[in-house]
Amino acid sequence: MVRCQQYPPLRALQASAALRRASDEHRKEPLTSSSQQHFDSPPAGHQPEQEPQGPHPSYTGLGGQESEDYESEEQLQHRILTAALEFVPEHGWTAEAIAEGAKTLGLSVAAAGMFHSDGSELILHFVSECNSKLSKLLEKEQKLVQLGKAEKKPIDEFLRDAVEARLRMLIPYIEKWPQALSVLLLPRNIPSSLNLLTSMIDDIWHYAGDQSTDFNWYTRRAVLTGIYNTTELVMMQDSSPGFEDTWRFLENRVADAMTMSNTASQVQSTGEAVVQGLMGAAVTIKNLAGLNQRR
Amino acid sequence: LINCISFPCPFFAVYQVFESVAKKYDVMNDSMTLGIHRVWKDILMHKMNPCPGTLLLDVAGGTGDIAFRFINYVRSVRQRQLQRKLKQHQNLSWQEIFESYQKDKFNSLGDSQVVVCDINREMLKVGKQKAQHLGYSEGLSWVLGNAEELPFDDDKFDVYTIAFGIRNVTRIDLALQEAYRVLKPGGRFLCLEFSHVSNPLLSRLYDLYSFQVIPVLGEVIAGDWRSYQYLVESIRQFPPQEELKAMIEDAGFFKVNYDNLNFGIVAIHSGFKL
Repeated sequence: MVRCQQYPPLRALQASAALRRASDEHRKEPLTSSSQQHFDSPPAGHQPEQEPQGPHPSYTGLGGQESEDYESEEQLQHRILTAALEFVPEHGWTAEAIAEGAKTLGLSVAAAGMFHSDGSELILHFVSECNSKLSKLLEKEQKLVQLGKAEKKPIDEFLRDAVEARLRMLIPYIEKWPQALSVLLLPRNIPSSLNLLTSMIDDIWHYAGDQSTDFNWYTRRAVLTGIYNTTELVMMQDSSPGFEDTWRFLENRVADAMTMSNTASQVQSTGEAVVQGLMGAAVTIKNLAGLNQRR
Repeated sequence: LINCISFPCPFFAVYQVFESVAKKYDVMNDSMTLGIHRVWKDILMHKMNPCPGTLLLDVAGGTGDIAFRFINYVRSVRQRQLQRKLKQHQNLSWQEIFESYQKDKFNSLGDSQVVVCDINREMLKVGKQKAQHLGYSEGLSWVLGNAEELPFDDDKFDVYTIAFGIRNVTRIDLALQEAYRVLKPGGRFLCLEFSHVSNPLLSRLYDLYSFQVIPVLGEVIAGDWRSYQYLVESIRQFPPQEELKAMIEDAGFFKVNYDNLNFGIVAIHSGFKL
């Protein structure tokens, strides 16, 4: 089967734009989507109509009613997925949840057909939203430290808090999260999910103050990825109140990682000492056997 | 019956074609495509993946193939939904379980509905008989109508399908505009149609089969050589995948793409009214 995707020039999405106008009129509250511009509300008493225009955005507007009110397909998909998250605890990460989300936006349930039927896009969307929330949180904390309003945390505490904050975002969806994890492991999704995971780990280390440029960079990320993944799995089958078992597990793993780095440098210096000792012994033996003599 | 075989046939000739083939339509489909048309229609249904509560308009759907598949699909999805709900209701009292059964017993389709619209009375008649014979009663309606001028209001339907019908419409752009009109915002347009094979070897075999075998089958089974000659020629004259995609976009649909089935013998085009 040959699939053909189209990336058309950005045209105004007539139907969804009209829907948003209608819902704006009725709710009279500003939209929260940042990359959209608000239009001047039409004079009171006018019901917005569905204009059957051609598919070109009208910047000069009909009678001054429309301004640059348009969104791209990606933005609309983003909105649908965000609305769909609310239905995940009930329906799981499925096309049904997406259909319900589309319904709340006033769109037909058939709009869920824009996405894959296994819910991959919904899960990836959720993960990337969580990652941005984490970044914002870490940035805010960093600003507080820079302004002197808070203490700089020691590394292990910082890592612990960051991973805990990120994992807490899963709590509302924890029942269906194992399903999401298995979907993220599908070969089709592995590039994107791996990408999201590594950029999140990168972020955490960045805000932890890691500026290494040597092999340490890789080891640090590998270690933190291991900690995050194992803690996530523990959280899946943790039934203790407030997930205290999970946080204790996290604390232990981070502590392990800290001692491991100390141990590693100890091992290295011990190893060097041992090697030097062996070399010395070998030279001594050669001397004793008379092999070092020059004839 | 038909005088202009090799020229684009006007409206009445198309009408007569389907009037004469209506009774043998399904049999001819099976023999021409060696039964593969059933798989194509199943794939269309899977692509649509409708959830209960969907309102489908099947245009040029005369004998009801798509409509019946839709009802089956939605029914099984609904069954799974109800089973899941019951599993969650483990701790309810018998009274509550009984009540939930009552509520859902009369809702085996979950409010889904399909409207079959065809321009040809004969095809609709055959469809209605089939429905009765196979036991489909709820969620179905049969409407006589022209794809270029649908007798429905704006923003009514969730999904619009046209399977092997858009080829016979004289003004395809009008049909696409009507499809856009009757769909709800967020609604989906799906078109299953014969298309162009790009692979040269396959294309030659396909041409051979089309021009040598199909009209003969038409004569033997339906007693109508000319209709099937017309069919094969109309397939060749139909716009190829990319061109149809451009036409669908011109009508205002977004996220238009197509899937080739069997190397381009058949293609499913999909677009959304956004």
